[in-house]
Amino acid sequence: MSEGALKVKEIPELSVQLNYKQWYASTKVKAERPPLTEQEKARPFAKYYRDPVPADPEKLAIMDRPCDPAKAIYPEQMNDLLNPGYLDVEVGWCNLPNGAGFIANCYQYEGVTADMIDWWFAWHTLEDLRYRIWYPPQHAGLMISPDTRKRMLDPNIPMREKNWGAIHHVTENCDCGMENIDINFMSPKDFGFDMTRFKEPFASTFAGGFGWACSVDKNDQSITAPALMCHIFRTIPGGLEHRTRFWLGYRMSGGKPELSLPPGVSVPASSVQGLARHNVKEFKNFSVLLPEIYKELGGRMEC
Amino acid sequence: MPIKLMAASRRRPGLTRADYFRYIEHFHGTIARNERLKISSYIQNHVIDGAFGTLADATHQQVCDREAVVEIYFDNFPDMLRTLEPETPSDASQDGRFFADECTNIIVMAEEEEIPVPNPKPAFNPGLGIMGSVGAFKVLQYIMRDDEVYREDYYRRWREAHEAAMEKSPYAREQMRRCVANKRCRINDNDAAARKHFKMVDPPVYDMVVSMWFDTAEQAGAFRQYNDVLQAWPTPFANWSKSFFLYTRAVPIIRDTPKS
Repeated sequence: MSEGALKVKEIPELSVQLNYKQWYASTKVKAERPPLTEQEKARPFAKYYRDPVPADPEKLAIMDRPCDPAKAIYPEQMNDLLNPGYLDVEVGWCNLPNGAGFIANCYQYEGVTADMIDWWFAWHTLEDLRYRIWYPPQHAGLMISPDTRKRMLDPNIPMREKNWGAIHHVTENCDCGMENIDINFMSPKDFGFDMTRFKEPFASTFAGGFGWACSVDKNDQSITAPALMCHIFRTIPGGLEHRTRFWLGYRMSGGKPELSLPPGVSVPASSVQGLARHNVKEFKNFSVLLPEIYKELGGRMEC
Repeated sequence: MPIKLMAASRRRPGLTRADYFRYIEHFHGTIARNERLKISSYIQNHVIDGAFGTLADATHQQVCDREAVVEIYFDNFPDMLRTLEPETPSDASQDGRFFADECTNIIVMAEEEEIPVPNPKPAFNPGLGIMGSVGAFKVLQYIMRDDEVYREDYYRRWREAHEAAMEKSPYAREQMRRCVANKRCRINDNDAAARKHFKMVDPPVYDMVVSMWFDTAEQAGAFRQYNDVLQAWPTPFANWSKSFFLYTRAVPIIRDTPKS
Protein backbone atom coordinates (compact mmCIF):
# COMPACT_ATOMS: atom_id res chain seq x y z
CA MET A 1 0.00 0.00 0.00
CA SER A 2 1.40 3.39 -0.93
CA GLU A 3 2.05 6.13 1.58
CA GLY A 4 -0.71 8.19 -0.01
CA ALA A 5 -3.22 5.38 0.39
CA LEU A 6 -2.28 4.95 4.04
CA LYS A 7 -2.82 8.62 4.63
CA VAL A 8 -6.26 8.46 3.04
CA LYS A 9 -7.20 5.49 5.18
CA GLU A 10 -6.09 7.23 8.35
CA ILE A 11 -8.11 10.40 7.83
CA PRO A 12 -11.85 9.75 8.15
CA GLU A 13 -12.65 13.02 6.41
CA LEU A 14 -11.06 11.58 3.24
CA SER A 15 -11.75 7.87 3.54
CA VAL A 16 -15.53 8.35 3.45
CA GLN A 17 -15.38 9.73 -0.08
CA LEU A 18 -17.54 7.83 -2.57
CA ASN A 19 -17.60 8.36 -6.30
CA TYR A 20 -20.86 9.55 -7.84
CA LYS A 21 -22.07 6.11 -8.86
CA GLN A 22 -21.31 4.64 -5.43
CA TRP A 23 -22.88 7.57 -3.63
CA TYR A 24 -26.07 7.48 -5.66
CA ALA A 25 -26.45 3.73 -5.05
CA SER A 26 -25.85 4.27 -1.32
CA THR A 27 -28.68 6.73 -0.87
CA LYS A 28 -31.41 4.09 -0.81
CA VAL A 29 -29.60 2.45 2.11
CA LYS A 30 -28.97 5.74 3.85
CA ALA A 31 -32.62 6.65 3.46
CA GLU A 32 -33.44 3.80 5.83
CA ARG A 33 -31.36 5.58 8.49
CA PRO A 34 -29.37 2.50 9.49
CA PRO A 35 -27.77 2.31 12.95
CA LEU A 36 -24.35 3.90 13.29
CA THR A 37 -21.41 1.76 12.20
CA GLU A 38 -18.63 0.92 14.66
CA GLN A 39 -16.42 3.51 12.98
CA GLU A 40 -19.13 6.13 13.35
CA LYS A 41 -19.69 5.25 16.98
CA ALA A 42 -16.00 5.92 17.57
CA ARG A 43 -16.16 9.46 16.20
CA PRO A 44 -15.89 12.22 18.81
CA PHE A 45 -19.25 13.71 17.80
CA ALA A 46 -21.21 10.41 17.86
CA LYS A 47 -22.69 11.35 21.23
CA TYR A 48 -24.69 14.09 19.52
CA TYR A 49 -26.61 11.43 17.59
CA ARG A 50 -29.46 11.52 20.06
CA ASP A 51 -33.13 12.36 20.39
CA PRO A 52 -33.71 15.89 19.12
CA VAL A 53 -34.92 18.78 21.21
CA PRO A 54 -38.71 19.01 20.67
CA ALA A 55 -39.79 21.66 18.18
CA ASP A 56 -41.51 24.82 19.31
CA PRO A 57 -45.26 23.93 19.39
CA GLU A 58 -46.31 27.53 18.70
CA LYS A 59 -44.29 27.63 15.50
CA LEU A 60 -45.56 24.24 14.42
CA ALA A 61 -49.10 25.48 15.04
CA ILE A 62 -48.47 28.49 12.78
CA MET A 63 -47.39 26.05 10.09
CA ASP A 64 -50.73 24.23 10.32
CA ARG A 65 -52.29 26.54 7.74
CA PRO A 66 -51.01 28.88 5.02
CA CYS A 67 -50.31 32.54 5.63
CA ASP A 68 -51.71 35.39 3.52
CA PRO A 69 -49.81 35.30 0.17
CA ALA A 70 -50.21 39.08 -0.11
CA LYS A 71 -47.84 39.42 2.83
CA ALA A 72 -45.18 37.10 1.45
CA ILE A 73 -42.16 38.27 -0.54
CA TYR A 74 -40.85 37.03 -3.89
CA PRO A 75 -37.19 36.17 -4.42
CA GLU A 76 -36.72 39.39 -6.35
CA GLN A 77 -37.49 41.16 -3.04
CA MET A 78 -34.81 39.34 -1.05
CA ASN A 79 -33.04 42.61 -0.26
CA ASP A 80 -36.00 43.51 1.96
CA LEU A 81 -34.37 41.10 4.39
CA LEU A 82 -31.62 43.69 4.83
CA ASN A 83 -34.07 46.29 6.13
CA PRO A 84 -34.10 46.97 9.86
CA GLY A 85 -36.90 45.29 11.78
CA TYR A 86 -39.13 42.55 10.49
CA LEU A 87 -41.23 41.76 7.43
CA ASP A 88 -44.93 40.98 7.45
CA VAL A 89 -44.37 37.23 7.50
CA GLU A 90 -41.47 35.94 9.56
CA VAL A 91 -43.00 32.54 10.31
CA GLY A 92 -45.36 30.92 7.82
CA TRP A 93 -45.83 29.36 4.41
CA CYS A 94 -48.15 29.66 1.43
CA ASN A 95 -48.47 29.25 -2.31
CA LEU A 96 -47.80 32.49 -4.16
CA PRO A 97 -50.25 33.53 -6.90
CA ASN A 98 -47.75 32.34 -9.54
CA GLY A 99 -47.83 28.82 -8.08
CA ALA A 100 -44.48 28.96 -6.28
CA GLY A 101 -44.16 27.90 -2.65
CA PHE A 102 -43.04 30.40 0.00
CA ILE A 103 -41.69 29.64 3.47
CA ALA A 104 -40.48 31.99 6.20
CA ASN A 105 -39.04 31.16 9.58
CA CYS A 106 -37.24 33.10 12.27
CA TYR A 107 -35.19 31.97 15.25
CA GLN A 108 -33.10 33.59 17.92
CA TYR A 109 -29.97 31.69 18.96
CA GLU A 110 -28.45 32.46 22.32
CA GLY A 111 -24.66 32.32 22.47
CA VAL A 112 -24.25 31.76 18.74
CA THR A 113 -22.00 33.86 16.48
CA ALA A 114 -21.61 34.22 12.72
CA ASP A 115 -18.26 32.41 12.91
CA MET A 116 -20.02 29.42 14.43
CA ILE A 117 -22.53 29.37 11.58
CA ASP A 118 -19.77 29.58 8.97
CA TRP A 119 -17.89 26.74 10.64
CA TRP A 120 -20.96 24.52 10.91
CA PHE A 121 -21.99 24.86 7.27
CA ALA A 122 -18.49 23.83 6.16
CA TRP A 123 -17.72 21.27 8.88
CA HIS A 124 -20.88 19.21 8.59
CA THR A 125 -20.28 18.42 4.90
CA LEU A 126 -17.45 15.99 5.52
CA GLU A 127 -19.25 12.92 6.86
CA ASP A 128 -22.76 11.50 6.90
CA LEU A 129 -22.80 11.45 10.69
CA ARG A 130 -22.03 15.15 10.93
CA TYR A 131 -25.19 15.80 8.95
CA ARG A 132 -27.23 13.16 10.75
CA ILE A 133 -26.61 14.69 14.20
CA TRP A 134 -28.20 17.94 13.01
CA TYR A 135 -31.63 16.31 13.01
CA PRO A 136 -31.41 12.52 13.42
CA PRO A 137 -35.05 11.68 12.66
CA GLN A 138 -34.94 13.13 9.14
CA HIS A 139 -31.32 13.73 8.09
CA ALA A 140 -29.96 10.59 6.45
CA GLY A 141 -26.68 11.53 4.83
CA LEU A 142 -24.54 14.02 2.95
CA MET A 143 -21.85 13.65 0.30
CA ILE A 144 -19.66 16.17 -1.47
CA SER A 145 -17.55 15.58 -4.56
CA PRO A 146 -13.80 14.93 -4.35
CA ASP A 147 -13.01 18.40 -5.72
CA THR A 148 -15.37 20.04 -3.22
CA ARG A 149 -13.81 18.03 -0.41
CA LYS A 150 -10.39 19.42 -1.32
CA ARG A 151 -11.87 22.89 -1.07
CA MET A 152 -13.47 22.18 2.30
CA LEU A 153 -10.17 20.89 3.69
CA ASP A 154 -8.06 23.68 2.20
CA PRO A 155 -6.86 25.76 5.17
CA ASN A 156 -6.25 28.73 2.87
CA ILE A 157 -9.95 29.15 2.10
CA PRO A 158 -11.77 31.11 4.82
CA MET A 159 -14.50 29.18 6.60
CA ARG A 160 -17.12 31.64 5.34
CA GLU A 161 -16.16 31.07 1.70
CA LYS A 162 -15.71 27.30 1.68
CA ASN A 163 -19.29 26.72 0.59
CA TRP A 164 -19.38 29.33 -2.15
CA GLY A 165 -19.86 27.25 -5.28
CA ALA A 166 -20.00 23.97 -3.34
CA ILE A 167 -22.77 21.43 -3.83
CA HIS A 168 -24.08 19.39 -0.90
CA HIS A 169 -25.71 16.13 -1.94
CA VAL A 170 -28.03 15.52 0.98
CA THR A 171 -30.47 12.71 1.66
CA GLU A 172 -33.24 14.16 3.75
CA ASN A 173 -36.92 13.81 4.57
CA CYS A 174 -38.67 17.17 4.52
CA ASP A 175 -41.92 15.64 5.79
CA CYS A 176 -42.66 14.38 2.27
CA GLY A 177 -40.56 11.22 2.08
CA MET A 178 -36.82 10.74 1.62
CA GLU A 179 -35.31 12.81 -1.16
CA ASN A 180 -31.89 13.37 -2.65
CA ILE A 181 -31.37 17.10 -2.71
CA ASP A 182 -28.45 18.79 -4.44
CA ILE A 183 -27.93 22.14 -2.76
CA ASN A 184 -25.79 24.59 -4.75
CA PHE A 185 -24.42 27.03 -2.18
CA MET A 186 -23.66 30.54 -3.33
CA SER A 187 -22.05 33.69 -1.98
CA PRO A 188 -24.58 36.32 -0.85
CA LYS A 189 -23.51 38.43 -3.85
CA ASP A 190 -24.15 35.65 -6.35
CA PHE A 191 -27.46 34.86 -4.67
CA GLY A 192 -28.57 38.40 -5.39
CA PHE A 193 -28.05 40.41 -2.23
CA ASP A 194 -27.06 44.05 -2.56
CA MET A 195 -23.59 43.89 -1.05
CA THR A 196 -23.55 47.61 -0.33
CA ARG A 197 -26.29 46.85 2.20
CA PHE A 198 -25.15 43.39 3.28
CA LYS A 199 -23.36 44.41 6.46
CA GLU A 200 -23.72 44.72 10.22
CA PRO A 201 -26.07 45.19 11.93
CA PHE A 202 -28.44 44.03 9.16
CA ALA A 203 -26.54 40.95 8.00
CA SER A 204 -23.77 39.00 9.67
CA THR A 205 -23.52 35.95 7.46
CA PHE A 206 -25.45 33.88 4.94
CA ALA A 207 -25.92 30.26 3.91
CA GLY A 208 -28.01 29.59 0.85
CA GLY A 209 -28.34 28.96 -2.83
CA PHE A 210 -30.57 26.80 -4.94
CA GLY A 211 -31.46 23.15 -4.86
CA TRP A 212 -32.89 20.31 -6.89
CA ALA A 213 -34.87 17.68 -5.02
CA CYS A 214 -35.95 14.27 -6.24
CA SER A 215 -37.30 11.22 -4.47
CA VAL A 216 -34.73 8.64 -3.42
CA ASP A 217 -37.07 6.19 -5.15
CA LYS A 218 -36.82 8.12 -8.41
CA ASN A 219 -38.61 6.69 -11.42
CA ASP A 220 -39.35 7.96 -14.91
CA GLN A 221 -42.32 9.97 -13.67
CA SER A 222 -40.53 11.58 -10.72
CA ILE A 223 -40.30 15.34 -10.57
CA THR A 224 -36.96 17.02 -9.95
CA ALA A 225 -38.10 20.09 -8.11
CA PRO A 226 -36.14 23.34 -7.92
CA ALA A 227 -36.10 25.71 -4.94
CA LEU A 228 -34.18 28.71 -3.66
CA MET A 229 -32.95 28.57 -0.07
CA CYS A 230 -31.95 31.57 2.00
CA HIS A 231 -30.63 31.51 5.56
CA ILE A 232 -29.57 35.00 6.59
CA PHE A 233 -28.21 35.81 10.04
CA ARG A 234 -27.89 39.07 11.97
CA THR A 235 -26.42 39.83 15.35
CA ILE A 236 -28.77 40.46 18.26
CA PRO A 237 -27.91 41.06 21.93
CA GLY A 238 -26.54 37.81 23.30
CA GLY A 239 -26.57 35.91 20.05
CA LEU A 240 -27.74 35.67 16.50
CA GLU A 241 -31.06 35.93 14.70
CA HIS A 242 -31.65 33.53 11.86
CA ARG A 243 -34.23 34.30 9.18
CA THR A 244 -35.08 31.64 6.63
CA ARG A 245 -36.85 31.99 3.31
CA PHE A 246 -37.55 29.29 0.74
CA TRP A 247 -39.05 29.81 -2.68
CA LEU A 248 -40.09 26.46 -4.14
CA GLY A 249 -40.53 26.24 -7.90
CA TYR A 250 -37.77 28.77 -8.64
CA ARG A 251 -34.33 28.03 -9.99
CA MET A 252 -31.31 30.27 -10.49
CA SER A 253 -30.87 30.99 -14.19
CA GLY A 254 -28.16 33.28 -15.45
CA GLY A 255 -27.64 34.57 -11.92
CA LYS A 256 -31.28 35.48 -11.38
CA PRO A 257 -34.25 33.71 -9.83
CA GLU A 258 -36.62 32.34 -12.46
CA LEU A 259 -39.98 30.69 -11.93
CA SER A 260 -39.59 27.22 -13.40
CA LEU A 261 -43.01 25.66 -13.08
CA PRO A 262 -44.99 24.35 -16.03
CA PRO A 263 -47.80 26.76 -17.01
CA GLY A 264 -50.76 26.52 -14.66
CA VAL A 265 -48.97 24.26 -12.19
CA SER A 266 -48.49 25.04 -8.49
CA VAL A 267 -46.07 23.49 -6.04
CA PRO A 268 -48.20 21.06 -3.99
CA ALA A 269 -49.22 22.70 -0.72
CA SER A 270 -48.23 19.53 1.13
CA SER A 271 -44.63 19.92 -0.09
CA VAL A 272 -44.47 23.56 1.01
CA GLN A 273 -45.99 22.81 4.39
CA GLY A 274 -43.79 19.74 4.81
CA LEU A 275 -40.59 21.69 4.32
CA ALA A 276 -41.88 24.47 6.60
CA ARG A 277 -42.53 21.98 9.40
CA HIS A 278 -39.21 20.22 8.85
CA ASN A 279 -37.46 23.57 9.01
CA VAL A 280 -39.01 24.39 12.39
CA LYS A 281 -37.90 21.02 13.76
CA GLU A 282 -34.35 20.87 12.38
CA PHE A 283 -33.39 24.37 13.44
CA LYS A 284 -34.78 23.99 16.95
CA ASN A 285 -32.41 21.09 17.45
CA PHE A 286 -29.66 23.06 15.73
CA SER A 287 -30.06 25.93 18.22
CA VAL A 288 -29.08 23.61 21.06
CA LEU A 289 -26.56 21.47 19.15
CA LEU A 290 -24.43 24.22 17.65
CA PRO A 291 -23.18 26.02 20.80
CA GLU A 292 -22.48 22.66 22.41
CA ILE A 293 -20.54 21.09 19.55
CA TYR A 294 -18.71 24.28 18.65
CA LYS A 295 -17.36 24.50 22.17
CA GLU A 296 -15.90 21.04 21.78
CA LEU A 297 -14.84 20.88 18.12
CA GLY A 298 -15.38 24.33 16.65
CA GLY A 299 -13.02 26.18 14.36
CA ARG A 300 -11.34 23.17 12.76
CA MET A 301 -12.46 20.84 10.01
CA GLU A 302 -10.74 17.60 10.97
CA CYS A 303 -11.58 15.55 14.05
CA MET B 1 -32.34 33.45 -19.15
CA PRO B 2 -33.06 31.71 -22.44
CA ILE B 3 -33.28 27.97 -22.42
CA LYS B 4 -32.96 25.76 -25.45
CA LEU B 5 -33.70 22.28 -26.60
CA MET B 6 -31.07 20.46 -28.63
CA ALA B 7 -32.36 17.41 -30.46
CA ALA B 8 -29.99 15.15 -32.35
CA SER B 9 -31.63 12.80 -34.81
CA ARG B 10 -30.69 10.34 -37.54
CA ARG B 11 -32.64 9.65 -40.70
CA ARG B 12 -35.47 7.15 -40.76
CA PRO B 13 -34.99 3.90 -42.65
CA GLY B 14 -35.29 4.28 -46.41
CA LEU B 15 -34.16 7.91 -46.66
CA THR B 16 -30.94 9.14 -48.20
CA ARG B 17 -29.11 11.93 -46.42
CA ALA B 18 -30.24 14.29 -49.18
CA ASP B 19 -33.87 13.22 -48.66
CA TYR B 20 -33.50 13.88 -44.95
CA PHE B 21 -31.91 17.31 -45.33
CA ARG B 22 -34.45 18.39 -47.93
CA TYR B 23 -37.31 17.34 -45.71
CA ILE B 24 -36.06 18.72 -42.41
CA GLU B 25 -35.10 22.10 -43.85
CA HIS B 26 -37.88 22.79 -46.32
CA PHE B 27 -40.86 20.89 -44.89
CA HIS B 28 -40.24 20.58 -41.17
CA GLY B 29 -38.65 24.01 -41.06
CA THR B 30 -41.66 25.54 -42.78
CA ILE B 31 -44.02 23.91 -40.30
CA ALA B 32 -42.00 25.45 -37.47
CA ARG B 33 -42.20 28.89 -39.08
CA ASN B 34 -45.94 28.52 -39.64
CA GLU B 35 -46.51 27.21 -36.14
CA ARG B 36 -43.98 29.23 -34.20
CA LEU B 37 -45.81 29.23 -30.86
CA LYS B 38 -43.30 30.47 -28.25
CA ILE B 39 -40.10 29.66 -30.16
CA SER B 40 -37.67 32.56 -29.98
CA SER B 41 -35.22 31.13 -32.50
CA TYR B 42 -34.58 27.85 -34.27
CA ILE B 43 -31.35 26.65 -35.86
CA GLN B 44 -30.82 23.37 -37.67
CA ASN B 45 -27.26 22.05 -37.74
CA HIS B 46 -26.87 19.71 -40.70
CA VAL B 47 -24.15 17.14 -40.16
CA ILE B 48 -21.28 17.01 -42.64
CA ASP B 49 -19.13 14.47 -40.81
CA GLY B 50 -18.35 13.30 -37.30
CA ALA B 51 -16.83 10.59 -35.15
CA PHE B 52 -18.24 8.47 -32.34
CA GLY B 53 -16.16 6.95 -29.54
CA THR B 54 -12.39 6.56 -29.72
CA LEU B 55 -9.80 4.70 -31.76
CA ALA B 56 -9.28 2.43 -28.76
CA ASP B 57 -12.83 1.09 -28.92
CA ALA B 58 -13.21 -2.29 -30.62
CA THR B 59 -16.72 -1.41 -31.73
CA HIS B 60 -19.24 1.37 -31.34
CA GLN B 61 -20.96 1.43 -27.98
CA GLN B 62 -24.13 3.16 -29.14
CA VAL B 63 -26.03 4.44 -32.16
CA CYS B 64 -23.31 6.04 -34.23
CA ASP B 65 -24.88 8.18 -36.89
CA ARG B 66 -26.54 11.56 -36.68
CA GLU B 67 -27.85 13.67 -39.52
CA ALA B 68 -28.79 16.87 -37.69
CA VAL B 69 -28.99 18.62 -34.38
CA VAL B 70 -31.78 21.16 -34.06
CA GLU B 71 -31.52 23.94 -31.49
CA ILE B 72 -34.82 25.51 -30.47
CA TYR B 73 -34.57 28.54 -28.20
CA PHE B 74 -37.19 29.80 -25.74
CA ASP B 75 -37.23 32.81 -23.46
CA ASN B 76 -37.98 30.64 -20.44
CA PHE B 77 -39.02 27.16 -19.32
CA PRO B 78 -42.81 27.74 -19.29
CA ASP B 79 -42.61 28.96 -22.91
CA MET B 80 -40.79 25.76 -23.81
CA LEU B 81 -43.55 23.65 -22.32
CA ARG B 82 -46.26 25.75 -23.96
CA THR B 83 -44.64 24.94 -27.30
CA LEU B 84 -43.86 21.28 -26.72
CA GLU B 85 -47.19 20.51 -25.09
CA PRO B 86 -49.81 22.80 -26.62
CA GLU B 87 -53.46 22.16 -25.84
CA THR B 88 -53.89 20.53 -29.24
CA PRO B 89 -50.93 18.53 -30.59
CA SER B 90 -48.74 20.64 -32.86
CA ASP B 91 -48.05 19.71 -36.47
CA ALA B 92 -44.33 19.74 -35.69
CA SER B 93 -44.73 17.04 -33.05
CA GLN B 94 -46.49 14.82 -35.63
CA ASP B 95 -43.99 15.50 -38.41
CA GLY B 96 -40.78 13.98 -36.99
CA ARG B 97 -41.68 10.46 -38.03
CA PHE B 98 -41.49 11.45 -41.69
CA PHE B 99 -37.74 12.05 -41.55
CA ALA B 100 -36.28 10.87 -38.22
CA ASP B 101 -35.70 7.52 -36.57
CA GLU B 102 -37.47 9.00 -33.57
CA CYS B 103 -36.82 6.40 -30.89
CA THR B 104 -33.06 7.08 -31.16
CA ASN B 105 -33.31 10.86 -30.80
CA ILE B 106 -31.11 12.45 -28.14
CA ILE B 107 -32.31 15.62 -26.52
CA VAL B 108 -30.53 17.99 -24.19
CA MET B 109 -32.38 20.85 -22.53
CA ALA B 110 -29.58 23.30 -22.00
CA GLU B 111 -28.52 26.69 -20.76
CA GLU B 112 -25.68 28.37 -22.60
CA GLU B 113 -22.42 29.54 -21.09
CA GLU B 114 -20.19 31.57 -23.35
CA ILE B 115 -16.55 30.50 -23.07
CA PRO B 116 -14.19 33.29 -24.19
CA VAL B 117 -11.86 32.53 -27.07
CA PRO B 118 -8.62 34.40 -27.77
CA ASN B 119 -9.32 35.20 -31.44
CA PRO B 120 -13.04 35.76 -32.10
CA LYS B 121 -12.27 37.81 -35.23
CA PRO B 122 -10.57 36.32 -38.27
CA ALA B 123 -7.22 37.91 -39.06
CA PHE B 124 -8.01 37.82 -42.77
CA ASN B 125 -11.57 37.43 -43.95
CA PRO B 126 -12.58 39.80 -46.73
CA GLY B 127 -16.14 41.00 -46.37
CA LEU B 128 -16.56 39.76 -42.83
CA GLY B 129 -13.70 41.66 -41.27
CA ILE B 130 -15.89 43.52 -38.80
CA MET B 131 -17.66 40.41 -37.54
CA GLY B 132 -16.57 38.38 -34.55
CA SER B 133 -17.78 35.19 -32.88
CA VAL B 134 -19.14 33.73 -36.09
CA GLY B 135 -18.06 30.96 -38.41
CA ALA B 136 -19.49 28.88 -41.20
CA PHE B 137 -18.22 25.66 -39.67
CA LYS B 138 -19.72 24.55 -36.37
CA VAL B 139 -18.57 21.60 -34.31
CA LEU B 140 -20.93 20.09 -31.77
CA GLN B 141 -19.19 17.92 -29.21
CA TYR B 142 -21.40 15.68 -27.03
CA ILE B 143 -19.36 14.81 -23.95
CA MET B 144 -20.69 11.94 -21.88
CA ARG B 145 -19.92 12.38 -18.18
CA ASP B 146 -17.89 9.61 -16.59
CA ASP B 147 -20.57 8.04 -14.39
CA GLU B 148 -18.23 8.00 -11.40
CA VAL B 149 -17.68 11.77 -11.56
CA TYR B 150 -19.99 14.27 -9.91
CA ARG B 151 -21.58 16.79 -12.28
CA GLU B 152 -19.89 19.74 -10.59
CA ASP B 153 -16.46 18.12 -10.91
CA TYR B 154 -17.21 17.15 -14.52
CA TYR B 155 -17.92 20.76 -15.46
CA ARG B 156 -14.95 22.07 -13.53
CA ARG B 157 -12.57 19.48 -14.97
CA TRP B 158 -13.83 19.97 -18.51
CA ARG B 159 -13.11 23.70 -18.17
CA GLU B 160 -9.60 22.96 -16.92
CA ALA B 161 -9.07 20.49 -19.75
CA HIS B 162 -10.49 22.96 -22.27
CA GLU B 163 -8.16 25.74 -21.12
CA ALA B 164 -5.19 23.37 -21.27
CA ALA B 165 -6.22 22.14 -24.71
CA MET B 166 -6.46 25.72 -25.97
CA GLU B 167 -3.08 26.48 -24.50
CA LYS B 168 -1.45 23.45 -26.10
CA SER B 169 -3.21 23.71 -29.48
CA PRO B 170 -1.91 26.77 -31.31
CA TYR B 171 -3.99 26.05 -34.40
CA ALA B 172 -7.23 25.87 -32.36
CA ARG B 173 -6.25 28.92 -30.33
CA GLU B 174 -5.80 30.86 -33.54
CA GLN B 175 -8.88 29.55 -35.36
CA MET B 176 -11.67 28.98 -32.84
CA ARG B 177 -14.03 31.94 -33.25
CA ARG B 178 -16.58 31.10 -30.61
CA CYS B 179 -17.17 28.48 -27.92
CA VAL B 180 -20.39 27.84 -26.01
CA ALA B 181 -20.85 25.25 -23.28
CA ASN B 182 -24.44 24.02 -23.41
CA LYS B 183 -25.01 22.69 -19.92
CA ARG B 184 -27.90 20.38 -19.29
CA CYS B 185 -30.52 21.98 -17.09
CA ARG B 186 -31.57 19.88 -14.09
CA ILE B 187 -35.16 20.66 -14.94
CA ASN B 188 -34.48 18.22 -17.76
CA ASP B 189 -34.06 15.30 -15.31
CA ASN B 190 -37.63 14.34 -16.01
CA ASP B 191 -38.05 15.34 -19.59
CA ALA B 192 -41.47 13.80 -20.07
CA ALA B 193 -42.63 16.59 -22.41
CA ALA B 194 -39.53 16.39 -24.55
CA ARG B 195 -39.66 12.61 -24.67
CA LYS B 196 -43.27 12.80 -25.73
CA HIS B 197 -42.53 15.40 -28.40
CA PHE B 198 -39.40 13.68 -29.73
CA LYS B 199 -40.61 10.06 -29.16
CA MET B 200 -37.37 8.84 -27.60
CA VAL B 201 -36.87 5.50 -25.88
CA ASP B 202 -34.19 5.23 -23.15
CA PRO B 203 -31.98 7.94 -24.61
CA PRO B 204 -28.42 8.40 -23.38
CA VAL B 205 -28.08 11.41 -21.09
CA TYR B 206 -25.49 14.06 -21.93
CA ASP B 207 -24.73 16.70 -19.30
CA MET B 208 -23.01 18.97 -21.80
CA VAL B 209 -22.69 19.70 -25.48
CA VAL B 210 -19.96 22.12 -26.52
CA SER B 211 -20.47 24.23 -29.64
CA MET B 212 -17.39 25.58 -31.40
CA TRP B 213 -17.27 27.80 -34.47
CA PHE B 214 -14.51 28.02 -37.06
CA ASP B 215 -14.34 30.04 -40.27
CA THR B 216 -14.69 27.15 -42.72
CA ALA B 217 -14.47 23.37 -42.88
CA GLU B 218 -10.81 23.82 -43.80
CA GLN B 219 -10.17 24.47 -40.10
CA ALA B 220 -11.45 21.05 -38.98
CA GLY B 221 -7.85 20.18 -38.15
CA ALA B 222 -7.83 22.91 -35.51
CA PHE B 223 -10.61 21.11 -33.67
CA ARG B 224 -8.82 17.76 -34.00
CA GLN B 225 -5.67 19.23 -32.51
CA TYR B 226 -7.70 20.64 -29.61
CA ASN B 227 -9.65 17.41 -29.16
CA ASP B 228 -6.54 15.26 -28.93
CA VAL B 229 -5.30 17.31 -25.97
CA LEU B 230 -8.76 17.44 -24.38
CA GLN B 231 -9.13 13.66 -24.43
CA ALA B 232 -5.62 13.16 -23.03
CA TRP B 233 -6.42 15.28 -19.95
CA PRO B 234 -5.25 13.20 -16.96
CA THR B 235 -8.07 14.02 -14.53
CA PRO B 236 -11.09 11.90 -15.48
CA PHE B 237 -14.33 13.61 -16.35
CA ALA B 238 -15.63 12.04 -19.57
CA ASN B 239 -16.51 8.67 -21.01
CA TRP B 240 -14.98 9.24 -24.43
CA SER B 241 -16.28 5.93 -25.77
CA LYS B 242 -19.80 7.30 -25.44
CA SER B 243 -18.93 10.80 -26.59
CA PHE B 244 -19.04 12.10 -30.13
CA PHE B 245 -18.48 15.15 -32.24
CA LEU B 246 -20.26 16.40 -35.33
CA TYR B 247 -19.08 18.79 -38.03
CA THR B 248 -22.09 20.79 -39.07
CA ARG B 249 -23.44 23.59 -41.21
CA ALA B 250 -25.90 25.82 -39.37
CA VAL B 251 -29.18 26.51 -41.16
CA PRO B 252 -31.26 29.24 -39.49
CA ILE B 253 -34.97 28.44 -39.64
CA ILE B 254 -36.21 31.17 -37.30
CA ARG B 255 -33.84 33.94 -36.34
CA ASP B 256 -35.19 37.45 -35.85
CA THR B 257 -33.03 40.49 -36.30
CA PRO B 258 -31.89 41.41 -32.78
CA LYS B 259 -33.68 44.43 -31.31
CA SER B 260 -30.95 46.94 -30.60
